[in-house]
Amino acid sequence: MTLSLILQALFAGVTNGIVYALVGMGLSAIFKGSRVINAMQGEFAVIGAMTTVLLLTRTGWPYAAAIAGGAVAGALVGAFIEVAFVRYMAKKNASEDSFLLLTIGLALTLSASVLFFIGRDGHLLPPLGGAGVLIILDAVIQFHALWLIAIGIGATLALRAFYHRTTIGLSMMAASIDADGAATTGINVSRMRTYTFVLGGLLGALGGILVTPLIGVDYQLGLNLTLKGFAAAVLGGLTNPLGAAVGGLTLGLVESLAIIGISSSYKDVVAFSVLIVIMILMPQGILGRAGRRGG
Amino acid sequence: MNPRTLLWLAIGLVVWAVLPFVVPRYMADLLVFTGIYTVAGLGIGLLLGHCGIVNLAQATFYGLGAYASAYCTVMMGLPSIVGFLVGAAISMVLAYVIGRPILRLTGYFLALGTLALSAIASALFFEWDWLTGGTLGIGGIPKLDLFGFLLDRPSRYYFFVWIVAFACMAVARNLVDSRTGLMLRAMRDSSTAAAALSIDLQALRTKVFVVCALFGSLAGSLFAHHASFVSTQSFTVDRSISFLLIPVIGGATSIPGIVVGALFVTFLPELLSKLGDIHQILFGLALVAVVVLMPEGLVGAFGKLRARLAKRGSGHG
Repeated sequence: MTLSLILQALFAGVTNGIVYALVGMGLSAIFKGSRVINAMQGEFAVIGAMTTVLLLTRTGWPYAAAIAGGAVAGALVGAFIEVAFVRYMAKKNASEDSFLLLTIGLALTLSASVLFFIGRDGHLLPPLGGAGVLIILDAVIQFHALWLIAIGIGATLALRAFYHRTTIGLSMMAASIDADGAATTGINVSRMRTYTFVLGGLLGALGGILVTPLIGVDYQLGLNLTLKGFAAAVLGGLTNPLGAAVGGLTLGLVESLAIIGISSSYKDVVAFSVLIVIMILMPQGILGRAGRRGG
Repeated sequence: MNPRTLLWLAIGLVVWAVLPFVVPRYMADLLVFTGIYTVAGLGIGLLLGHCGIVNLAQATFYGLGAYASAYCTVMMGLPSIVGFLVGAAISMVLAYVIGRPILRLTGYFLALGTLALSAIASALFFEWDWLTGGTLGIGGIPKLDLFGFLLDRPSRYYFFVWIVAFACMAVARNLVDSRTGLMLRAMRDSSTAAAALSIDLQALRTKVFVVCALFGSLAGSLFAHHASFVSTQSFTVDRSISFLLIPVIGGATSIPGIVVGALFVTFLPELLSKLGDIHQILFGLALVAVVVLMPEGLVGAFGKLRARLAKRGSGHG
C-alpha cells in the first residue's frame, strides 16, 4: 500500500462523498420540512443530469445554461410532487409508510420514463475545467473533481446561509420545528413544504449533474444514489441537512479507504453495512445530539 | 360457516381446479408465478399488517432459497427436498441473526435498513459467482418429481405451488389467530402498553421476521424448480420492492388481499406489456394511484365500497 494509492483513494472518497452529500442534503432537507423520506431523491439527480444532457446535445445550449436548466428541472419536479401528491396525502393524514410507498412508486415511474423516452444507454457530460488532470505524488486527480469539490462546498455553505440568514430559510426552519406556532406568526406552512421539495430537487439535481462527467447517467443511477444519499443523511442525523454533508464525506471516505484492502466490487457492501451499523449503534448519527439542532 | 359462504367457497375451488386447463399456457405460467409470489408476499403482509414493519429485504431470502435449490440439485446432485430444507434453514438462521439487531430500528429507519440489506445481498449474489454463477447463473435445475409424477408442465406445477401456498396461508392464519397474533395486534396498536404487559416485543418481531424469511426462501425454491434457471437478475432490490407491493396493493391485513396483490403484480405488467414499452411507466403510475387513492389496498377499498352501497341500499329500501 503506497502513499500515492492512499492519496488517490482519499481524493476519490472526497469526490464521491460530495455527491452523496448533495443527494443526502436534499433528502434531509425534505425530511426536515415534511417528515417524508424521499425514496426518489436519486431520481432528482437523474432528472437534473438527463435534462442537462438533452439541453446540451439536442438544443445546443451553452454548458452553463444547460446546467442551470437541469437544476431548475429538478426543482420544478420537486415542487410538482409536493403540490400534486404530498399535499393531498398530508391532508388525509397518510401514514409514514404511505409516503415512503408513494415515493417508491414515483421512483419506479420516473426511472421507467427515462428508459422509455431516452433509452437504455448511459450519457456523459463534458468535465468542468476541461479534461486535464493534476498529478500529486503519482496520484491522478481530474480537474473536474476539483470543480466538483469546490461547488459542493459552495453549495453547502450557501445552504447554511440560506437556513440561517434569509427570511424564507428561517420560516422554513420554523415551520419544520413547530407548524402550529409558525402558522400563528403568519408563515404559510404548506408553501414552506413546497419550498422544501424545491430545495430537495435542486440539491439532488446538482449532485446528479456533477457526478455525470465521472460515471455517466442512465435510468438505473437513481436507486443507488438514493441509498447512498440516505446513508449520508442518516450518518448526519437525518434532520440536519448540514449534518448530511458531514455524513456524505464520511461515507465516501470509508468506502474508498475500505476498498484499498478488499476488492473494489465490495464498495456498496461496505457502504450499506456501515449504514446499518450506524443506524443501530448511533441512532442520532455520528454528530450525536448536536447534529439534530434545528430539527 | 353459513351455506352462502360455503357455496362461494365451492365455486372458487372449482374455478381454481379447472383454471390451468382452460387458459392458454402463458397464463397458466403466470398463475404459477402468482402462487409463488403469494407465498413470498404472505410473510411481508404479516410484517406490514400485524407489526407495522416495512420489509424491503424479501428478495434476499427468495434468492437464498433459489440458490440453495439450484446448488444442491445441479452442483451436488442431491434430491430436491434437500434444497428446500437447506434454503429454509439458512434463511431462518440468517433472518434471526440479522433480525435481532436490525429490528430494534423502527419506521423509516427499519424500512431503509432492510433495503440496504437487500442491496448488500444482491451485491454478494453477484460477487460470489463460485456459488451463484453470477450473471451467467445456474441452469438445468430439474423439475420436481412427486413420487414418480413429473411436474414438468405449468398446469401440473400449478397445483403443487398452490397447495404449498394454501398451506402457507393456513400457517399465517394460525399465527394471526394464536396468542402470538393477539400479542402482535397489541404491539401494533400500542407498543408501550404491550411492553407493560411483559410482551417481549423484540422477540416477537424477530419471530415474525423469521417466518417471513421462511416463506421467502420457500418461494425462491419453488421459483428455481419452475424456471430451471436462476441468475442474479432475479434477486435485485427491484424484486424486493415488487414483493413489498403485493401486500400494499392487495391489503396487508387480509390473506385474500395477498392473493389479489400477487395477481396484480404478475398479471398487470403482462397485460400492460401489450401496449408496448410504456408498460413500466403505467405500472409505476398504477402503484402511485393505489397508494394515494386506496391507502388500505384493493381489498380494503372494495370493502369500503360494498359498505357504502349497502348503506345506500338500506337507506332507500
